[in-house]
Amino acid sequence: MAQPVLTISRLAKRFGPVQALGEVDFTLEQGEIHALLGVNGAGKSTFIKILSGVYTKDEGTIEIDGRSVEFRSPRDAIAHGVAAVQQHPELVGDLTGYENIFLGMEGGRRGFWSRIDRASMRRRADALLARFPVEIDLSRRVSSLSVVEREIVAILQALSRENIRVLILDEPTSTLTEVEKGVLFRLMAHLRAFGISIIYITHRLEEVMEIVDRLTVFRGGRRITTMSVEAARAEGVTLAELMLGETLDHVYPPRREDAGAGEVVFSVEGLRLPGVLDNIRFDVRRGEIVGVFGLVGSGLDELSKVLFGAMGPAEGKMRLGGREIAPRTPREALANGIFLVPGDRRTEGLTLSQASVFNMTLANLGKASGLAGLLRRGRNRRASAALAEKVTLHPPLLDRAVSDFSGGNQQKIVVAKGLFAGADLYIFVEPTVGVDIGARSRLYGLMRDLAESAAVIVMSSDCDEVHGLSDRTFALYKGRQIGQPSGDITRGRLLAAGIMGSLH
Amino acid sequence: MTEISSPMRPQMSFAGFRAIGRWWLLLALIASLLAFAAGRPQMLDSGNIVTILRSASIMAIMVLGLTWVIAAGKIDVSFMQIAALANMTTAGLLAQGSGWALAALCGIAIGAVVGLVNGVLVGRMRLSPLITTIATGGVCASAAAAIGAGTSIRIDDTGLLGDFLAARLGPVPLIALFVAVLYAVAWWMQERLTFGHYIYAAEQNEEALVDVGVPVHRLLVLVYLISGVCASVAGVLLAASLSSGQPMIGSSYFIDGLTAVFLGGMMIRIGRPNVIGTATAVLLLAVLVSGGALLGWPDYQREIIKGALLLAGVAMAVRMGRALDGFAKGGRS
Amino acid sequence: MTATSRLPSGFYRVLAFLALVAAVVAIFALIEPRYLSMRNLTAVTRHMAANGLAALGLTFVVVVRKYDLSFPGIASFAAMTIGFLIAGGYSLGAAIAAGLGVGIAVGLVNGFAVAYGRLPDIVTTIATGSIVGGMAFLYTGGRTIFQNFMTSGLIDLNDIRFLGLNASFYFLIAIYGVAYLVLHHSRFGASFRAAGENPVSAHLSGIPVRLYTMGAFAVCAATAVLAVVLILAESGTADTNEGANFLMPAYAAVFLGAALLGGASIPATLAGTALITILLDGFSLLGVPYYYSDGVVSLILLAGVVLFDERLRREAAFLMTFLGFGRKIGETHP
Repeated sequence: MAQPVLTISRLAKRFGPVQALGEVDFTLEQGEIHALLGVNGAGKSTFIKILSGVYTKDEGTIEIDGRSVEFRSPRDAIAHGVAAVQQHPELVGDLTGYENIFLGMEGGRRGFWSRIDRASMRRRADALLARFPVEIDLSRRVSSLSVVEREIVAILQALSRENIRVLILDEPTSTLTEVEKGVLFRLMAHLRAFGISIIYITHRLEEVMEIVDRLTVFRGGRRITTMSVEAARAEGVTLAELMLGETLDHVYPPRREDAGAGEVVFSVEGLRLPGVLDNIRFDVRRGEIVGVFGLVGSGLDELSKVLFGAMGPAEGKMRLGGREIAPRTPREALANGIFLVPGDRRTEGLTLSQASVFNMTLANLGKASGLAGLLRRGRNRRASAALAEKVTLHPPLLDRAVSDFSGGNQQKIVVAKGLFAGADLYIFVEPTVGVDIGARSRLYGLMRDLAESAAVIVMSSDCDEVHGLSDRTFALYKGRQIGQPSGDITRGRLLAAGIMGSLH
Repeated sequence: MTEISSPMRPQMSFAGFRAIGRWWLLLALIASLLAFAAGRPQMLDSGNIVTILRSASIMAIMVLGLTWVIAAGKIDVSFMQIAALANMTTAGLLAQGSGWALAALCGIAIGAVVGLVNGVLVGRMRLSPLITTIATGGVCASAAAAIGAGTSIRIDDTGLLGDFLAARLGPVPLIALFVAVLYAVAWWMQERLTFGHYIYAAEQNEEALVDVGVPVHRLLVLVYLISGVCASVAGVLLAASLSSGQPMIGSSYFIDGLTAVFLGGMMIRIGRPNVIGTATAVLLLAVLVSGGALLGWPDYQREIIKGALLLAGVAMAVRMGRALDGFAKGGRS
Repeated sequence: MTATSRLPSGFYRVLAFLALVAAVVAIFALIEPRYLSMRNLTAVTRHMAANGLAALGLTFVVVVRKYDLSFPGIASFAAMTIGFLIAGGYSLGAAIAAGLGVGIAVGLVNGFAVAYGRLPDIVTTIATGSIVGGMAFLYTGGRTIFQNFMTSGLIDLNDIRFLGLNASFYFLIAIYGVAYLVLHHSRFGASFRAAGENPVSAHLSGIPVRLYTMGAFAVCAATAVLAVVLILAESGTADTNEGANFLMPAYAAVFLGAALLGGASIPATLAGTALITILLDGFSLLGVPYYYSDGVVSLILLAGVVLFDERLRREAAFLMTFLGFGRKIGETHP
């Protein structure tokens, strides 16, 4: 084969104390589709952010066609022919597909006083479509297009601009139907035929086999292996094992011996939300943690919101502590004894500019206040200080704004908020995203403690976490429940269930 | 799971619904004109029509730029005070003996400066559009009053501008033809040039524009500048039209201007302010004022009606915009 | 915007504010010795009362991250309602209660439209303000009302004094005290602030975000009515545009205070009101014509939000660190 279009050697990136990426060597041939595989936090996204100019590298070299290049901004990267298409591309909903493709280049020149030549834009769009045939109606407004169609518009936008040699697609297929997937894959095949190389980030193994030429597995910020699809097939390597690596058993608190033996605290039956969730049924017993594994788009976040009354109403029955409940709002859910540690703590869980004591007491202001609704300042501070100690908040400053704490400590504040609210059922969604390993271990310990007196559900797209922490697990795949909560599911099978929708 | 979750939009009977939605304001204009004419035949007298067109013309000039400011998702509550300041600047200079050309140019220049300040504070420094324009509007109002030491200034000779305002081409005042041409050009700028294209895109997703290298902040500065110039031109015309400089003139245009833009936003590009809609709404308001006066409605009743129209306009524009978008947009400001 | 910023060191900000006030007072006193007279102090505190009340309610609206432009119209309508009832022989208490009633009703309409109807706050409140401003004419067709004002006891509200200061000033301080407790030390205030800063997290914490948003508009309307009652007592007549002069000082007080003290709060609004009133009063004592007042207030407001702009401040802080003053910038970050 000719010279690789992209050669990367010994690439490294640190964020504070965290080595996000270390000593990564990587080559990309002209006209190949190369998949990047890895669990959350494996370093894939850091890698492509460096490649597309969003982050600058600490060490290592990037060569294009054998010449060393430096990317200081996304525009630098594009100028060198490397473009990334984000999962949720920035498009203007009111404008049509082709207007979005040629946004900023409507007329002959740039600026505000250029005539918009719609006929020429259409011609140029047709020419683009002739080169890369893809079934899409570009005269429709983007707001009426599906996710994959928007993705295609964004790809065409990138292709229309510069001489793009390398296209990075970031998890384009997290929420695709078979038909949409077919459309996208045909476009990718055309791009490949034109000599454009594609780096394709995905979680979904079955897709990898269909379209890619080679694949690279990342784990813990390092490149583990690179192989051709044929080789992977021939050797029968299980990618799941490559992706997971060794378990970090010491991070997780010991499971209970008698898991599943306590009385049922919380149960769900026939939970259904059209288009989102289909017939979810499980129960949680006292003293145990039930784990749910699912990828982005599996309905994980939606399931947590439905249980918490923030989404719906859904069909089905929920029972908590023997009573049937049907919370319609988070307020009712809290009153019923449910607390949600939401998936995105910064936008959903915390009031960032306020002090930690403010946040810890927010979910139960009735308890935090007394006569005439006045806050019991001293009592709340004492309670918050005790909670800060319990969750090992560091530094244990009650008046410090939440935004000044690290990710792990922010999450501890959310947990403290839940403890102050006092619930019978705690739902944790993606509890350790952006949390360093030490804080993770502490958070897992807290969740285990909680399970002693309350029901705990952990929902995460980190298979390792779900499997390592929980007593019983099941997976969610495209809104469907895969399997019943069970303590005997292996890590590999749970991963397979979440990414392929079957236990085998 | 997307087979079900990809949002299903109610696209069914929007075509017919939309045609009425697009043009109902024009129908309302014609209907109200006919209704008033039925009650008071002098409504359609050529003299009355000329009066309506003349007052609507000045109003239309004042809010042309405002239309684009609001279309870009921002707000300008200083426009009427800019008009007042330009009005008083012109009158003040005339009173000191300078000629009309210089006086008018100074009036417009001052409006341009205030518009530029608004634009830089909002577009570049990213200050809140409301707070910024409340403050610049307050400064303009004070300056306007200070020029006349708190009172109005008489203008003895309205000069060429006065002749221009008085001139008629058959039953139509010349100024109305001028405004019609101006709005036609504005419509062309809005629909055919990247200028208008980016204004609407900026309201929806500034990030998308920045990503492809469109200088959004410069666009905002420009739009505020245009708004300042339009308002000050109207202020200068008012000086000639009223034969005086009136420092308090701004407040009477405040509600009318915003009502015109938001009502107009319910026409053609539903939920998006646009110049043809603004022109129609300005005419509708002028007809309401004229007809109401003929029927002997007191001033305050018209104020209430205008406020109610504005509320209805905003409510329907928001609802329709949402129905057509299929998703709710975030708040302005 | 500045309203979102935090107090890095509230104590120093308060000190800086007091120093600013002292400097302003000193300058005025140098130019015009009468500035320090008891008489002038009485005038300043009286002027503070009405503007301060109008700004107080607006603070709640700003805390939930909305704007209200209708309160001047609401105040005018309430003023005419109260005047009409007093002229009709109703007791002062009943008249004020009715004024508060109509004002709060309009505030609830605003709040409902914005919070539940999801209409844009600025335009909606401009429209409702215009409607109620027009409705102020309904009672008399626009004529001023003054009948029975002398005998109703309304004027007495203006004349009661303790220790040389008007009762209205003590009323202001009392109301601010209550508002301070509510907004900064009660569960309701916590809900207001949480709803404004992060509505999603507030909703997921069980706070009825829309109800609080609506409530803020009602509070704003109520304090505007109280403010106009003080104006009625002072002037002895009810006019159809009685509330028109509230808009500028109220916005200036809230946003200037927020800029000075690092975020919208009850003390910040009080500080903003005090600074503006001191300045305006000083100018009027120096014989500066009335029509400069809006301009002065506006310029102060502009200067406040521009100079205290978050980015500018950060750059200034960086410069200070660079020069070796103050604390390190990065130390609060993880």
